[in-house]
Amino acid sequence: MSTSSLITDGHDDRPSNIDATAKFAGEGRTVASSGLKLFMWILAAAAALGIVGIIVRFIDDGGREEWGYYAATLAFMLTMFGGAPMIAIAPTIAKANWARPAARIGSLASIATAITALLLIPLMFKLPALTEFSDVLGDDVRRRSIWFDSPIYAPHFWNPLILATLAVVGLAMAYVMAIPDFAAIRDHGTGWKQRWARNLARGFHGRPQQWEWLMMRIGITGALYFAMLLYVNFTFSIDLAVSLVPGWKDAIFPFYHTLGSFQAGLSFTILGIWAARRWGGVSKYVGHEQMWSLGKLLLATTLLWFYFFYSSFIVFWYGRSQADSSTIELLVSGPYVYLFAAVFLFAFIAPWWVMIWNKVRDSVWGPPIAAVLVLFGLFMDRVRIYVASWSATPDDLELATTGILEKMPPTQWPDVFDVFIMAGLPALGLLGILLATRLVPVISLWEIQQSRLITKPVRYLRTRVLLVGKPD
Amino acid sequence: MAASNSVLGLYDNPDAGANAMDGLQSAGFALGTFDVLTGTPYPEGAFGEHVPQHRLFRFPFFGALVGLTLAILFTAGTQLAYPVVTGGKPILAVFAMLIIAYELTMLGAVVATVVGIIFESRLPNLNLGAYDARITEGYIGVVVECEGDRVEDAREVLQTAGALEIKTA
Amino acid sequence: MQQRRILDEVTINRELLRGNLATPKWWLPTVLGLLVVVIFGFTLMGIMFNRGLGVTGLSRPVYWGLFITTFVFWVGISHAGIMISAILRLTQAEWRRPVTRAAELLTVFSLLTALFFPLIHAGRPWRIFYWITPFDFARGIFPNARSPLIWDPFAIGTYLTGSTLFLYVALLPDLGVLRDRTTGWKHSFYTVASLGWRGNPRQWRLQTVAGILLSALMLPIFVSVHSIVSWDFAVTPSVEGWHSTIFAPYFVIGAVHSGVSAVVTMMALMRWLWGWDNYIRPEHFDALARLLIVVALGWMGFTFAELIFGVYSLEAPERALREMQMFTWPWNLLFIIFFLTAFAIPVPLWFFKRVRNNIALMFWTSILVNIGMWLERFLIIVPGLSRKQPFVFTWDTYQVSPLEWGLLLWSFAWVLMLMLLFSKFFPLIPLFETKESQVFTTDVTIGRVTIPAVVRELD
Repeated sequence: MSTSSLITDGHDDRPSNIDATAKFAGEGRTVASSGLKLFMWILAAAAALGIVGIIVRFIDDGGREEWGYYAATLAFMLTMFGGAPMIAIAPTIAKANWARPAARIGSLASIATAITALLLIPLMFKLPALTEFSDVLGDDVRRRSIWFDSPIYAPHFWNPLILATLAVVGLAMAYVMAIPDFAAIRDHGTGWKQRWARNLARGFHGRPQQWEWLMMRIGITGALYFAMLLYVNFTFSIDLAVSLVPGWKDAIFPFYHTLGSFQAGLSFTILGIWAARRWGGVSKYVGHEQMWSLGKLLLATTLLWFYFFYSSFIVFWYGRSQADSSTIELLVSGPYVYLFAAVFLFAFIAPWWVMIWNKVRDSVWGPPIAAVLVLFGLFMDRVRIYVASWSATPDDLELATTGILEKMPPTQWPDVFDVFIMAGLPALGLLGILLATRLVPVISLWEIQQSRLITKPVRYLRTRVLLVGKPD
Repeated sequence: MAASNSVLGLYDNPDAGANAMDGLQSAGFALGTFDVLTGTPYPEGAFGEHVPQHRLFRFPFFGALVGLTLAILFTAGTQLAYPVVTGGKPILAVFAMLIIAYELTMLGAVVATVVGIIFESRLPNLNLGAYDARITEGYIGVVVECEGDRVEDAREVLQTAGALEIKTA
Repeated sequence: MQQRRILDEVTINRELLRGNLATPKWWLPTVLGLLVVVIFGFTLMGIMFNRGLGVTGLSRPVYWGLFITTFVFWVGISHAGIMISAILRLTQAEWRRPVTRAAELLTVFSLLTALFFPLIHAGRPWRIFYWITPFDFARGIFPNARSPLIWDPFAIGTYLTGSTLFLYVALLPDLGVLRDRTTGWKHSFYTVASLGWRGNPRQWRLQTVAGILLSALMLPIFVSVHSIVSWDFAVTPSVEGWHSTIFAPYFVIGAVHSGVSAVVTMMALMRWLWGWDNYIRPEHFDALARLLIVVALGWMGFTFAELIFGVYSLEAPERALREMQMFTWPWNLLFIIFFLTAFAIPVPLWFFKRVRNNIALMFWTSILVNIGMWLERFLIIVPGLSRKQPFVFTWDTYQVSPLEWGLLLWSFAWVLMLMLLFSKFFPLIPLFETKESQVFTTDVTIGRVTIPAVVRELD
C-alpha cells in the first residue's frame, strides 16, 4: 500500500501568503517603534564614542601594543558579522527548510562586515612591515609571514582588500536574496520605501527564468562567500596575530578562527531571531523550529571549539621547546590567564552545559542564553589573542627571527578609549544592520512563501505529520 | 483470577490495523494492554497507539560517570604506582590523562546506552506470545493482552475490524 | 530525476535477503580464494614473530614504515561508518538508508584490521599488554598514561566497541525478519540474536531514539580516534614535519575522504554482486560524490595549510623536508601519484553529473582516492624519519620488504573475507530502513509538477 493512500489533508494554521505579504511588504511594516528608535540612537552614540576612541589612539600614537584592543574588536566583528551569512548559505545547500526565515538576518550582517573592512584601514598603518628587522639584520631578513618574499606592501594592502571583497560578496548575496522581497514591497508598499524598492527590484516579476537566475546567483555568491570567509580568516588571523608573535607556529589557528566565526555567526542569528520575535512581531513566522536547529549547530560548534583548542594546546604542551612553551604562556597561562579562564567558561563550558539539555534546545529562550554566553566568550577570546599578539614586541630581533619570544610581555590593560572602541565599533556595525532592516524585511518573505508551498501539515492515519517536499 | 492471554489480529493494510486499535479502545480495553506490531516503523501515533515513555536518556549519564571514575582510577593509579618521569611531564599529567578519561567516559556512555536501549525495549524476551511471521512481510498485527474472560471480546473487535486471521497464545 | 521505486515488504525481504537465504554461486569460491591469502598472511606474521623485525625493511632511523602507514590507513577507512551513519542520520538525509549498514560494517572490520598492525609491528605482540593493562603488580610496572601510544588502544577500543554495539542495535529488527524467514538451527540462532524483537511501538521508538542518541555519542568518539592517532606523530617534536597543531583535524578529514570513498567502492561492489539495483541507485552515488567534493576540498585546504605552515617557519630543516617530500626522487614520484589520485583526477571528475551517476567511474575514482590516501600517510611517516637529524648515528634508507607487501595484501583480503562472511549471515542493506523509507516518503503535486516529499513527525 503506497504512503499517499494513508495521507489525508490536515489542519493548517500557518499564516497565509497573503497575510505574510501584508505584514512584511505592505503598510504594516513602515513605522519604526519608539523603542527601536531609542535603541538606534544609543547605538549611534556608542559608535560615536568608538570613533572618538580611534582618533585618540591615532593622536596618542603609542607603541603597537596600544592597538591590541582595536585589533581584537575588529577580529570580533569579523568573527560575528562575517560568520552570520553562512546561516543563509549552508542550510540552503543542504536543503534545510528550517533555515529559510533566518536567512535574511544572517545575510544582512554583511553590512557590518563592510564597516569592519573600512575600520581595518587605520590599523594597517600600525601593522609592522615584514621587513621590520631589516634595519638591524640586513635587507633580506624578513619576519615570518605567509607572504614570504612578496612585495613590501604585503600584507598591509591586501588585508583590507580581502575583507572588503568578503563584504562585497556578502552584500551581493544579501541583495540578490532580497530582490523578490523588493518586488513585493514595490507592489504592496508605499512612500519612499516603495520608490527604493522599485529601483532595487530590477524589474523582477517572478518569471520562471528570473527565479532560475536568482537561484543560480544565490548559489554562486554563496559558494564565493564561503571560500572568501575561509580566506579572510586565514590571512587576518595570521597577519594580525600569529605572525606578530615570534615562535608561534600554529597551522590549526586559521581554522580555529573560522570555527569561531561559525559559532559567533550562529549566536548572532539566534539573537537576531529572538529580538525579531520579541520586538518585531514575527513570532508566527520564526521561532521554535529555527531555535531548535540553530541550537544543535551551536552545540556542535561549541564542542568543536574545545576540539580545535585542545588539538593545538596538546601539541604545544608536548613540544616543550622554548617556542612552544612561550606560546602557551603568552596565550593561555601567562599574562592573560584569567581572560583565558573566562573564554573557556563562556565559549565552551557554559554554553555546552546549557545546550546539552533537550528541553533547553527545544525552547525559544534557551539558545539565546547560550548565544549571549558564546558571544561574550568569543569576544574575550579575540581580546586574549590579539591583545597578546600586539603586545609581543620583540626586544632581541635576532632571537625573534629564529622564532623565540625571549621576554614575556606584561598584561596590557584597556584604557577608557579601548572601552569606547570595544563598545562603539560593534555598535556601529549593528546600527548599519538595523538601518537596513528599515528597507528590507527582517524575515525573508519569499522564502517563507516558498517554504509554505513545499511543506504541508497532513494527517497520516491517526496522527499529524508535516509533509516536506524536496525539490531538486 | 483468569490466566492472561495474548490475542493477535492480522491485517493486510494499515488502515484496518488503525481501525482495530480504535475498536479496542472503544470496547474498553485499557491503554497499554493492546499494541500494534509492524515490520517497519510508522510515524508515531499513526495507529492511535499509546505513545510509550522511556528513560533512556538517564543511561548515558550513568555510564559516563562510571567510565570517568574508572579512567581517573586507571590513569592516576598507574602513574602514582609507577612514578617514572617521562618527557619532562608531571607524574599526574592532567592533559594526557584527559584523553584516556574522555575515551573511557564515552565508552561508558555508549555501553550504558545500548544496555538502556535493550532494557527499555523490554528485551530480551524470547517468548513472542501471539505472533505471526507475516508481520515482517508488511502485515499489521494488533495484539491484545487480556484475561481469559475477555478473549472473546477481543476476538470480536479484531474480527470486526477486518482481521485476516486471529491467533491466541 | 526520481529514481525511487515503490516496493512492498515481501519484495524487499526477498531481494535484500538474497545472499542470506540462498548462497550466490560466486560466494564460496571467492571466500575460499580470500582465505588462501589470509592464511598466507598469517603465515608471514608467524615468520616475522619467529625471525624478528629484521625481515622487514625497517631500520634506524626509519622505524615506522608500511605497518604504521597501513594502520593509519585502515583507521582512516573506519571513519566511513560513523561519518555516513551518524551524520546523515542526525541530518535526516533520506539517501543514507541503503548505505548505513555497509558503512558501519566497514568501520568495524577495518578497525579490527588496523589493530593488527601496531600489534605485529611490536615484534612480540604479547608484550603490548604491558603497555595497556595494569596487571604487573608483582614488579610494580604499570602503563604510562603520558605516552600517546597508550591513547591509541583506548581510542580504538572505544570506537570498535561502540561501533559494534551500534551495528548490533541497528541489526535487531532485521534479525527479527531473518528469524521469521528461517527454520532449524538458523531460526534458533536468529531468535536468540534478535532478543525476541516483535516490532511494537515501544521497540520502534527506542530504535529511532537509539539511532539519534548513539549517533550523537559516536560522533565525538569518531573525531577523537583519528585525532589521537595523529597525536602519535604530532606530539613528537623530534621528527620534522610531524610536530604540527593541524594534524588532528587534518587526519580526521583525510580519514573521512578515504572512508567515504571506500563506501563508494563497497556500494558499487554490492550493486554488482547482489544485483541490488532497486536499492543502490545512481542517485546514491551522486549524493556520495557531492559529499566527497566538499570533504576533498576541505581536506585539500588542510593539506595546503599544513604545507604553508611547514614552510612558514623559515627553518632550514623543515624546508628541506618539504623539498625532499615533493622534489627528491623517489618521493617526488610518490607525491605526484598521491596528488593525482587523491585529488587532481577524482575531484574535478566528480563535478560532472554524468560521472557522479556513472557507477563504474565512481568505483574507479574511489579506488584512486584510496591509493592516494595510503600514499599520503606513507609520505607523512617515512620521509620525516629518513631525514638526517642530530644525534642519529646510523643512516639507512627504507625499502619495503616483500613480507610487508604481503601483509598489506593480507589486510585487504582479510577485510573482504570478513565482509563476505558477514553477508552470508546478516543483510548488508538494512531492511527496516529501506521499509521505513517506503513509509516515510511520498510524492506531492504542486501545480503541474510532482516532487518527492518526506514525512516529518511533529512533536
